[in-house]
Amino acid sequence: MGRRRLRRPDPADAARALPEAIAALSRTLPAAPSPETFRRAKFDHPEAAPALWRLLFRVLSPLPADGASASLALEAQARWVKSALRSQGYPRRALVQLPDDGSQGGRELLLALAWLLARGPLPERLLTQSHVRLGDEIPVCECEALASPGLPAPSVEAEGCVDIRHLQWLMGKLRLQWRNLMASQQEQCALLGKLLRRLEMENAQLEAALEWRHRELIFWQWMDTVLDACSPEASPLTFLPRIPEPGPGAARLLARELQTLQEELREAAEARRAAWQAVVGGHGPEWRAARRALQTAVAQDLAALQRAWEQDEGRARPHGPRRLVRTEAKVPGGPGLWAAEATEALRAREACLEAVLRQLQGQCRQELARLAGARPGLIWVPPPAR
Amino acid sequence: MSIVTVQLGQCGNQIGFEVFDALFNDSHCSRGLCSKRENEAYQASCKERFFSEEENGVPVARAVLVDMEPKVINQTLSKAACSGRWKYGQHSCFCQKQGSGNNWAYGYSVHGPRHEESIMNLIRKEVEKCESLSGFFIIMSMAGGTGSGLGAFVTQNLQDQYSSALKMNQIIWPYGTGEVIVQNYNSILTLSHLYRSSDALLVHENDAVHKICVKLMNIKQVSFCDINQVLAHQLGSVFQPTYSGEGLFHYRRNPLGDLMENLVPHPEFKMLGVRNIPQMSENSLAYSTFTWAGLLKHLRQMLISNAKMEEGIDWQVRPPLSGLPPLGKMSVNKETHFNTSIANLVILRGKDVQSADVGAFKDPALYTSWLEPVHAFSVWKTQRAFRKYEKSAALVSNSQSLVKPLDMIVGKAWNMFASRAYLHQYTKFGIEEEDFLDSFTLLEQVIASYCNL
Repeated sequence: MGRRRLRRPDPADAARALPEAIAALSRTLPAAPSPETFRRAKFDHPEAAPALWRLLFRVLSPLPADGASASLALEAQARWVKSALRSQGYPRRALVQLPDDGSQGGRELLLALAWLLARGPLPERLLTQSHVRLGDEIPVCECEALASPGLPAPSVEAEGCVDIRHLQWLMGKLRLQWRNLMASQQEQCALLGKLLRRLEMENAQLEAALEWRHRELIFWQWMDTVLDACSPEASPLTFLPRIPEPGPGAARLLARELQTLQEELREAAEARRAAWQAVVGGHGPEWRAARRALQTAVAQDLAALQRAWEQDEGRARPHGPRRLVRTEAKVPGGPGLWAAEATEALRAREACLEAVLRQLQGQCRQELARLAGARPGLIWVPPPAR
Repeated sequence: MSIVTVQLGQCGNQIGFEVFDALFNDSHCSRGLCSKRENEAYQASCKERFFSEEENGVPVARAVLVDMEPKVINQTLSKAACSGRWKYGQHSCFCQKQGSGNNWAYGYSVHGPRHEESIMNLIRKEVEKCESLSGFFIIMSMAGGTGSGLGAFVTQNLQDQYSSALKMNQIIWPYGTGEVIVQNYNSILTLSHLYRSSDALLVHENDAVHKICVKLMNIKQVSFCDINQVLAHQLGSVFQPTYSGEGLFHYRRNPLGDLMENLVPHPEFKMLGVRNIPQMSENSLAYSTFTWAGLLKHLRQMLISNAKMEEGIDWQVRPPLSGLPPLGKMSVNKETHFNTSIANLVILRGKDVQSADVGAFKDPALYTSWLEPVHAFSVWKTQRAFRKYEKSAALVSNSQSLVKPLDMIVGKAWNMFASRAYLHQYTKFGIEEEDFLDSFTLLEQVIASYCNL
């Protein structure tokens, strides 16, 4: 056997690795500055500071950026970033001492960014916030079904001859609806195109995030050099994730607030009920009977809700749209539904809609038969079968 | 979905400018009386429909300007650019150096074919900028020369090249005592041609708008600018965004299509009129408050008695009692006659709009016997107030209200035609007597159809 040559890392590779890592980070974060800016920030060049203030502002905002917040002055953004970092427990005082006008502090800002990156999956969180909504969500909510007024009662048409002008009106309406439909489809195509482009952009960001995860180590080694270059502080900055625990005092505060809210709610409900009674209050047997009927109906609805809740054994039935995501077969369910439950919900909905469709089709058929019978001498030519 | 506007002639261009200005100013009005999110949705909807975006952010009106002389177009372009808030596209206009001397036939038979390619190219470029096209507005006068003849020609071309897109012509009905001798000839030719190639004719009467300026806006010397601004206000109150069925923040994507579906599906009945309430000078606005009940009551009576503004309404006119047969055929000679509608669209904008009760408009007595209120009446709403009016309502109706003016014009034109007066101006450029006869026939048919409601 020959001597195995150890593969020595090519020095050129090493030199490239850091810029590539930073480039991946830059592509992953929204509105991130160029890798060159990161390098300048390490050496505290003034041009790097504004870009990093803006990046931190974007990263720390709880909501996706909109036009209004992006156009805030740099000074306002800088102040906001400082207070946001403070509330998250950022320990370095040097950052707070930076001037508000956003002109200095590239290195400190770089440290702050690294601290945020170390605490949790920041790129992933940002990507989730801004992901493209594809409409591949199904709503899970009982409220819709219970609140719907039910099918409209079929209207009874008066018997009598049909005016030809009415038929011409209906024909014209169909033609216009056809044209409107074509315009809507054209619009749908244009919007789908837009959606595809946004998806492509999102894919590029996701790929950058993956790449970043592969190359992270080099970035952290570089950040250690940045930290060394900074002035030391009393409480050393560590890049370890730290989740602040709420103390017992916080819990008591919360409980008190909850109690106050409940009292306020009770008072408001009482006032509303009294006002309603004053408005509605009627007398007489019919009114009492109607009221009793209402109360029975409401009690029945509540009982149905209660039963539905108990059936689920109190399993949290979340409301709102849920995305369908593939996971490993053996992974225990996270916060969400199993595909089976989702399918069942969809099937129930489908059955409901089909019933409505059949009923409407029946009504249309009856109407057409009546119209056909009403005018002898009219020939009905059905459309060519497709 | 977007609407492309074609502004034709002096009239079309001056009005078009006021319309875009009114739409833009309303969508950027700070007193929308609604939440910020609501306001942004409204603005975005208006913008997508009527403006396209240019690189430096200034919205560009989706419009093509056409005239046979440069003066009015240049004025219009510079007025828009001066405002600094929106503008017309640099290459969106077509004009020539000579006029057409108020000659309908010259506009239709000479200017039209000669400049067809250039004009249609401009329109095509504007259409390509739209992600999806809802349809066209064509703004033109009915009785003029260039605007009318060329307008009829262009509308026909649009029918050929964009047959699936909707076309609504905004026609300016001339003053009864107009200055142009042949205005009635021009009017009947325009109307008959448009009836064949357009989907809807939204008529604005100069006389009616003039009265609004004098009586309601208290303007002493009424200029065309005043008239055009009132017109623009009316159009804006119809076409600015309103909710689709899904409720708050979701604005109707295709108001032009929805309007046409509800009002003009029948090929014989294409004439629409607009009324709106309240209408007043901005100085008086601050001191007035309105209730929906009051506004709707006045609007309904305006419709029934064929009044064009909220002053001087004849409250004696009543709908025929339900159950009784209709009051016989309409005679154009009767002074006060109940104005039967085929279909109506009410548009409500402003505070507490959900509480507005439009039940009175669903009275079957208002409508012709062959269309029930459930098919004939529709209502659009939005909480967002329009141009500082805390509450405002507009009514677009397909009704008998234009029969009398139309009959008058046809009568006058016929009298001139019977003596063959001024016909040579038309026959010189290819509009023969047969064309006139065809026009008379078509319009008589339209009058008869409306009278027999």
